[in-house]
Amino acid sequence: MHERLSFHIKRDSFLHRLNPLTKLALTLALILLAFTFPWYWMPHLLALAAIIPLSLLGKVFREFMLTALRLIIPAAGFLFLMQAFFQPVGADVIFQFYFLDMTSESVLFAFRNAMRIVVMVSAFTLFLLTTHPSELMSDLTRRGLPGQFSYVIISTLQILPQMQTKAQTIISAQRSRGLDTESSFLKRAGSLIPLIGPLVFGSLVEVEERAIAIEARGFTSKHAKTSLHEIPDPAFDKSLRWVLFALIIASIGLNIWLS
Amino acid sequence: MAFVNIQNLTYKYPLTKEPVLKNINLQVQEGEFVSVIGPNGAGKSTLCYALAGFVPHFFKGEISGEIEVDGKLSSKSTLDEWVLNVGLAFQNPFNQISGAKYTVFEEIAFGLENIGVPRDEMKKRVEDAMSLTGISELADRSPYSLSGGQQQRVALTSILVMRPSLLVLDEPTSQMDPIGTREVFGVVRKMAEEGMTVMMVEHKVEWIANFADRVIALKDGQILLEGKPNEVLTSDVLVEHGFGVSRYTSTAREAKQRGLWKKNNLPVTLDEAVQGFKP
Ligand SMILES: Nc1ncnc2c1ncn2[C@@H]1O[C@H](COP(=O)(O)OP(=O)(O)OP(=O)(O)O)[C@@H](O)[C@H]1O
Ligand SMILES: [Mg+2]
Repeated sequence: MHERLSFHIKRDSFLHRLNPLTKLALTLALILLAFTFPWYWMPHLLALAAIIPLSLLGKVFREFMLTALRLIIPAAGFLFLMQAFFQPVGADVIFQFYFLDMTSESVLFAFRNAMRIVVMVSAFTLFLLTTHPSELMSDLTRRGLPGQFSYVIISTLQILPQMQTKAQTIISAQRSRGLDTESSFLKRAGSLIPLIGPLVFGSLVEVEERAIAIEARGFTSKHAKTSLHEIPDPAFDKSLRWVLFALIIASIGLNIWLS
Repeated sequence: MAFVNIQNLTYKYPLTKEPVLKNINLQVQEGEFVSVIGPNGAGKSTLCYALAGFVPHFFKGEISGEIEVDGKLSSKSTLDEWVLNVGLAFQNPFNQISGAKYTVFEEIAFGLENIGVPRDEMKKRVEDAMSLTGISELADRSPYSLSGGQQQRVALTSILVMRPSLLVLDEPTSQMDPIGTREVFGVVRKMAEEGMTVMMVEHKVEWIANFADRVIALKDGQILLEGKPNEVLTSDVLVEHGFGVSRYTSTAREAKQRGLWKKNNLPVTLDEAVQGFKP
């Protein structure tokens, strides 16, 4: 059984200790620099000189590399091929596959776009690997995000795996009474209809009870909320956020100025 | 003046045709431990919701009469104020897990965060409540990884930690083994001794007989009987109305008809039965 839906890996590292908002700012800065900085090799440089060192600094190099190999690189590779073949730019054909042409311009173009995607997904992956969802949400709530909003996010992350488990239980129960879940798709789709009732109706009753339960614990209380965990936000984090903010502005500014 | 005072309470859910609670009158003293029994559909849970403010503030429907707790009228309060004074834990523990927290410790602290208790006091109160209900060693577990009985203890602790002056419990031990049940009754008794008023719906009559101050038998939305546990739980009226009774009571009633039970009062617990059958 899955206990929760989260990529977070509990470690003690520089990245883990950063304030969640700082990490969010860092993620955003990496993405925006990769997409707006007016220099061809910027995304490549970020991938080598920022993403990889950050994964080491966050002590999640192994986990990060696994995600990269399994997900990020195949997806970016696919994107690269699509764009290299189908982007109708340039005349300097360097490779032909039946009627598809790959020009040196389209390759360069596709390579940069693929690297931008690599930086974007990698930055998010690092963020998720080193930030506990409830830490992020408490911090954002303290900064004024409505409590209901963070409740919805966190409880969805937790309840989805529970619903999955429940659906599995219902399926096993129905199958033991002869439900067909293994023949052709249409037949199966039809025979799954009996599952919808228990799952959805069960969930509605559950939603009502859960609403009562959290209300009974003061969820809609008008008191200012407090938080069990202290999430430190030292001066270093604040300055770092300003630096990142300045970098983002500079990059966007340069981009506009040069275009 | 009674701490809890229900006057002529009649209530109908939006979707029911008949009232579910019919002209209920009930007074409970401060620090009293009252237990409610009744067959399925008697309206026990609805009565709990009424005391905890969810009837009518959450369920809507038609209500008449008054519910007063600690000098305040439910009809004149809002739900978020009312729950600060009246705590509710109900039967299904799974649905009482907030879903917002990753460990039992955080789960129990959830209510205190919501009402703005400062961090140091919060930690202390959570630790105290957990040791009171005997779940300290579950602190770092995920609430979802616990057994039903453990989850029920977490649900109870999550309410106790908020220190309500009236504690309303709807079948809080339904998934517990005898050891867990005894501990919960013990904790509740202790809270009552310390001045908390308790209203607990339960089926386990032997435990009620040992721990509660008073029993209320509810049937079809009306109070059928009310009084000292041993009087109510051994009454012939309960059998006529299809209530569950203790096996010791039914055995002794049978024995009485055959002249084998000499005492006037019937027993509820094993001890009483043993005493009574002694030659
Ligand atoms: N949300 C609701 N909407 C409409 N009717 C309801 C609702 N909840 C309960 N009822 C009805 O009210 C009546 C009393 O229900 P209640 O849950 O209070 O009984 P109970 O004594 O707690 O029973 P049980 O022993 O099964 O827990 C039942 O007939 C039930 O069908
Ligand atoms: Mg009930």
